[in-house]
Amino acid sequence: MNHGDIYVRGWGAVTSLGWSAPDSARNLIAGNAPPAAAGVSSHLINREYKAFEVPYSGNPLDKSMAMLERALAEAFSRAELSAEEIAESSVLVGTTGGLFIRNEYEFTEAVRKNPDNQSPAISCRNRGPGEVADLIINKYGIRGMALTFSMACVSSSHALVVAADLLKRGKIRRAIVVGFEPLLNMTLHGFASLLLFDYDQCRPFCATRAGMQIGEASAVVIMDTEESSAASAKYKFTGGYLYNDIKSMTSAGIDGVTVSEVVQQTLTSARMSAGDVVAIKAHGTGTRDNDLSEGRGLVKLFGKNLPPVVSLKGAIGHTLGAAGAVETAVWLSCCEEGFIPRSFGFTEIDPEIGFAPSQKNIAARDGAYLFTFFGFGGTCTSYLIIKE
Amino acid sequence: MPVIAASYIGPSLTPNRDALWEESKLPLNPDDLVNEIMGQPMRRAGRFIKMVCCGGIACLQKVSLGYLKGKKVGIFLSTGLGNVDEIMPFITQVFKHGGGFPSPNQFANSVSNAAAFVLARICEVTGTVLTISQEELSFESALWLALSYLESGEIELALVGGCDIFTPTVEEYRERVNLTPENSHSMPMGEGSSWLLLGKDKENYIGNILAVDFGNKIISPEEFSASENILSQSEKLIPADSAWQKKKRFLLPGFRLNKIDSDFWKLKGWEVDDYLPYCGIHSTAAAFGIARALREIPAALFVHYNCHASGKQALVVASTK
Repeated sequence: MNHGDIYVRGWGAVTSLGWSAPDSARNLIAGNAPPAAAGVSSHLINREYKAFEVPYSGNPLDKSMAMLERALAEAFSRAELSAEEIAESSVLVGTTGGLFIRNEYEFTEAVRKNPDNQSPAISCRNRGPGEVADLIINKYGIRGMALTFSMACVSSSHALVVAADLLKRGKIRRAIVVGFEPLLNMTLHGFASLLLFDYDQCRPFCATRAGMQIGEASAVVIMDTEESSAASAKYKFTGGYLYNDIKSMTSAGIDGVTVSEVVQQTLTSARMSAGDVVAIKAHGTGTRDNDLSEGRGLVKLFGKNLPPVVSLKGAIGHTLGAAGAVETAVWLSCCEEGFIPRSFGFTEIDPEIGFAPSQKNIAARDGAYLFTFFGFGGTCTSYLIIKE
Repeated sequence: MPVIAASYIGPSLTPNRDALWEESKLPLNPDDLVNEIMGQPMRRAGRFIKMVCCGGIACLQKVSLGYLKGKKVGIFLSTGLGNVDEIMPFITQVFKHGGGFPSPNQFANSVSNAAAFVLARICEVTGTVLTISQEELSFESALWLALSYLESGEIELALVGGCDIFTPTVEEYRERVNLTPENSHSMPMGEGSSWLLLGKDKENYIGNILAVDFGNKIISPEEFSASENILSQSEKLIPADSAWQKKKRFLLPGFRLNKIDSDFWKLKGWEVDDYLPYCGIHSTAAAFGIARALREIPAALFVHYNCHASGKQALVVASTK
């Protein structure tokens, strides 16, 4: 029975752990999560930067398109959407790189084919982040709204919250929320230039952590006022909260106050208390500042009753603008498999944080799961998904 | 929804004034504009961030920053192409023969929402701050979303703007905007940062946004400029009561219209306000046209019409006091 509630009706994901959300979930639960490795895609120019790369035999541009199409097909199938239902939906995309992969691929191909010549100037021929939504709209004949959020690491998590808001207000019929992030030289070198890259292993919340590692992925989350009939449980989306921390462009404040307030606001708007949270899908990037601000913020709010905290980034990497949709889709498939996976990459408690993230699979019981994301530019997203 | 303030900056970098400019001399150095609007230099910011901040603050000059204090404010920055100006030198360094040394500051500046962060920090806005991109309908999409947040009461004021900047070469810029003779106006490439402040202020306003409509059909490029269709869609969106019906009407044609039949519009009692000569083609040119009309043409009703290259239409209906 629906009382103005918003449900996750379907989802799909392609990550380094598999070409579907259940594949990724089963690998996580089984502990089959290989560490990041030197990139093999033909467009990658520096093999020092380890990444969580989606396996594919073909060129990186074709791979990106295949990743997007596979996630869409999986989500539409799980949501049991007819062609007309897809067409009347709205598309909200979260991405930072969009189709910039095309520029990198074409440039590296030009260089590869002319090894004796001076490199040509790299061209920027892509049409901005909105191009991904345009592709989807054209392919499926979608008549609803198209909105693309290009907001670094919260791009698709913000898109999920905005989609829920628009559904609640009756402004859109249904939301197809997409996270899309092919692996780019631009972001690998960018985070390395900021000294935020861990050359060894991504270790969220660990005392030995030294930075993030990038993953590539695409994911689709279908949000609707109607429940899923294909899933084993109902997944209600609630408490979505967006906050813009203007104190720092790169950190949500290492004292944890901002994180604590953001999560509290989510609980308040969902009319829940800290004790209702079954587990936390943390942002957990493995950078010193993120994990300190997030870890301290969670301890500040939950105290001794901190539920299991899991970061997926030690297993699939930081999928940047796609992280919101990707981690939501994979988490829900874990719920369908019956287990919340452990947090990968952890060995030692950081005394400045004071807790260990979950180190064993736990039963995915009914209740509220908290999702947090914090990004460049002071952006914070938090929401709950209730498994019923 | 009342429009409390509006501001427009085009390629001549002269806020709220029409001025001559030449495509071959773009982009102009924005430092004088930054000093004029911001009162101090922005040394570490890239050109895109400077343009976003100058546009947003120029819009707020009418009311002052203090007007925002204690109110729930949202910032909705729209951009079709984002910060290409910073991305290209960064990626050129990455791909440099023999290994380059890309600048961390340039990477930080290149992230699309860095500009919205800087503007939010200046304005001390902590709530809904969104960077929205949807190619040539970016501004209309951001405006639609801002209205939805305002109507729901989630925010009291919305600062909504569009910014895209001129980045050589012209040929690549035209390709990025997906321009062909069949699907667009013949016009030099330009740039701009144009903003509206919206909110339910019944006394302190210059006009109203009456509707933002995306229709529900996809049309072919041949139909983009069909005057009869544009007129019939526009008339459906204009409120029926006589106060609106009596106002002087203007069509603001977006850059996807490849021809404008001025005689048709004149015959129907409309004037055409072709704003593109003052800002050139850029993905968020609609923001310039709408902000300029709201500031410069009193007691009028406007319809801004544009199409996405894929055939999706967007109409914005606005009026001035």
